[in-house]
Amino acid sequence: MVYLKWAFRAVIALLILGFFHYTLPQHDIARVTDTYEKRIDFGENSLFWASSDVGNAETTVNRDVFFIQAKYPNGDVMVYRNEDTGWGWPPYFKFDTSNLQAEAADLKSSADAPQWVVIKHYGWRNEFLSIFPNAVSVRPATGPAEQIIPWLNIVILTLFAAIFWAIYVRWRRFRAARIDPMLEEIEDGYDAASDAIANRRGRISRWLGTWRSKK
Amino acid sequence: MFALARLAFFGFLVLSVLYVGVSIYSRLVRRRKLGKEWDTEVREGDRDAFIRAGLEDYDNSFRRKLILLIYIVPVVVVGLTVYLVNFY
Repeated sequence: MVYLKWAFRAVIALLILGFFHYTLPQHDIARVTDTYEKRIDFGENSLFWASSDVGNAETTVNRDVFFIQAKYPNGDVMVYRNEDTGWGWPPYFKFDTSNLQAEAADLKSSADAPQWVVIKHYGWRNEFLSIFPNAVSVRPATGPAEQIIPWLNIVILTLFAAIFWAIYVRWRRFRAARIDPMLEEIEDGYDAASDAIANRRGRISRWLGTWRSKK
Repeated sequence: MFALARLAFFGFLVLSVLYVGVSIYSRLVRRRKLGKEWDTEVREGDRDAFIRAGLEDYDNSFRRKLILLIYIVPVVVVGLTVYLVNFY
């Protein structure tokens, strides 16, 4: 039972962690190597794609999506998609997809003369699902080793922890004051009832015992 | 525009639930505090009347109107996000 409880808590914690890791913005320092667009037919992975640009038809089964190819200072590559989040989830309220694509194309550079950029994005790259992080903004970096402090994430996570704690403490207090006494009462009642049954059983078996032959 | 209307509608619903919940909770807390104050400090006159007067003061207070921030803050945050993400 204890294991079950902890397994349940671990799954919940993992879900919350995954949710924040997917949704909160992260910064990559990389070099834009190319930008392109590709027609995407959404399948099982449609959950990990945003909707079509704001104002366009929403019911299309496929559409062209902008992509930004990048290379990290350590030589790994990353491909970002560039889509409007619009008024939907996650709440980035991004409408400037085409402008962002123009900025990214402008910052394109070669390996010989690298122009390092900071790409703000959310989401995951997963090769098995063909999903890509969504780029939110690009700006030139001061260099490949620029340090970025994620202030927004600090604020959001602190707020989340504070609200979670506030509700948790109140719930604990409420449970201690209202629910625990009630459960104890039920338990006491149950104990009394089972004692009574045990007593009666004792009486009956004693009575039966009077009929048994005494050896 | 439909997406914006949808966001506004469901946002309003969620925030309204939050507003009503926080309002009720805040009034309960105030009532409990008034009761405690009477028990420990006042201890004279009518307890119920004391609590009623205190709650009336609370109903007209600025503090209570601060709960309206539940509606205002998200709208401001959304507006700010739209500006920072797209036009900054």
